[in-house]
Amino acid sequence: MRYIQRQSAFARGLHWIHTIACLSLFATGLMLFIPQVAGAVGVATLNGARLVHRVMAAIFIGAPILGIIINPKGFKHFWKSMVFKWDDDDKEFTKKFFPYLLFGAKQHMPPQREQKSGQVVADGAIVIFSILISLTGIVLVWPATFGGAGSAMWTWSLLLHDVSMVLLSVLLIAHIYIGAGIFKPYRGMGRLMFGDGKVSETDALYHWGTWAKEELRKGDKVTTA
Amino acid sequence: MAETAIKYDSSKCTACKGCQVACKQWNQLPSPLLAEEYEFTKSFQSPLDLSPNTWLIINFSEVKQDIGIDWNFMRNSCFHCTEAACEMACPVGAISHKDNGAVVIDEEKCIGCRYCVASCPFSVPRWDEARNKTFKCWQCFDRTSAGRAPACVSTCPTGALEFGDRDEMVAAAKERVAELKAAGFTKAELYGETELGGLHTIVVAHRGLDAHGLKRDPKIGVTEFWQLLKPLGGIAAAATVGGLGFSFLMSAKYKRGEFTYDEATDTVVEKEVEK
Ligand code: SF4
Ligand code: SF4
Repeated sequence: MRYIQRQSAFARGLHWIHTIACLSLFATGLMLFIPQVAGAVGVATLNGARLVHRVMAAIFIGAPILGIIINPKGFKHFWKSMVFKWDDDDKEFTKKFFPYLLFGAKQHMPPQREQKSGQVVADGAIVIFSILISLTGIVLVWPATFGGAGSAMWTWSLLLHDVSMVLLSVLLIAHIYIGAGIFKPYRGMGRLMFGDGKVSETDALYHWGTWAKEELRKGDKVTTA
Repeated sequence: MAETAIKYDSSKCTACKGCQVACKQWNQLPSPLLAEEYEFTKSFQSPLDLSPNTWLIINFSEVKQDIGIDWNFMRNSCFHCTEAACEMACPVGAISHKDNGAVVIDEEKCIGCRYCVASCPFSVPRWDEARNKTFKCWQCFDRTSAGRAPACVSTCPTGALEFGDRDEMVAAAKERVAELKAAGFTKAELYGETELGGLHTIVVAHRGLDAHGLKRDPKIGVTEFWQLLKPLGGIAAAATVGGLGFSFLMSAKYKRGEFTYDEATDTVVEKEVEK
């Protein structure tokens, strides 16, 4: 059995850091967002959660920026794989994706490049709302720089921060379901970010047919174990 | 305890600012002691805005006329709304209504999240960065619960401020509006009887609401949005989990063969596997 090195150690490390930051941000943010929880945990816990939220937010924003600075080539590659023309295969993939996801039908999905059409849409949305939640968070932490707490910009930021959080939670639940391989056709995918970053030939051909063929032909990322 | 209210009559107010000083004194709210701490704007209003240590100011709207100017004063402080957006928005229940209708922040419980700051339709609550707490007028509940009038009311020398049973304050304000109209102030209006379920600061605006900078038909809009977003967010997350749970069950029997790629012939071969 052949394997393709799909995720580098650098990407996996960054993903680990982001996973921890993201989950902590959700947990601490939800404490405030759900009044029943806020009331139950008490002022001291909420003040602690506020501090954790800020530290984790700095990591959440800082880690990818640092990643781009340290590894600009990796970022360029990721960016290129995310931005491509929408061809017939992509249209077909998008059309078939929900029946495939919901009914586990033995749908024949069209071959995909390095990033699937669905990945581009879902991950793209995650990136966009992550940027929005980060920018609004910065306004919330430094109100004096943005017209003061209660200014239109500050109030809008609070609203958009909360809206982004709701949308991100929905997107991330789906991201975990698919990415961690809870969805049966994606079994074993957790290895990509939380394991050695390799994908087997059979899985690669099934999920990213066009990309897998290219890589198998090139061979530089192919191993036998 | 019966519902009480402060009545402010702009036609009787001389903007002496005695109420501002009394509020600061009673509630021990320090003023900045440095020279030129406040920006000079050519207006007699001072300070220019509410702050964590300034819970009441008299707003000055100085409108130039052919001869002289119209002084349209307005008492700027918490209105102690019945439908208090701040109270609805506070996630920790730090804001509550007293029996007499006063809306009060419990400093001990406040965590400085500023949801109330974003929610108040009148921009009243102010957050203090150093203390990470939010502050506003509490209608001197310590005084009123002991049968006394709020500090600002007690000090008003012209009778522009009065305090008492809310129904009586509303009735007196209506009477005053009628008097003012008869005296030529045709735009005189009453504010606070019905707005946001009824305010506990009733205003006689002798030149009309707009002239005194009073918001017509104030809404709890932002708070309503949050009250909608929170359950909607919960429903969306639950629906996603439910939908994916369904997907999980439906995909339980999913099976596929093993694929291999033959570069020489550019073909993908699928081999059945027993699982
Ligand atoms: S005026 Fe603002 S701070 Fe005062 S009770 Fe109403 S909503 Fe709350
Ligand atoms: S700042 Fe304080 S009073 Fe205002 S909503 Fe937050 S906890 Fe409640």
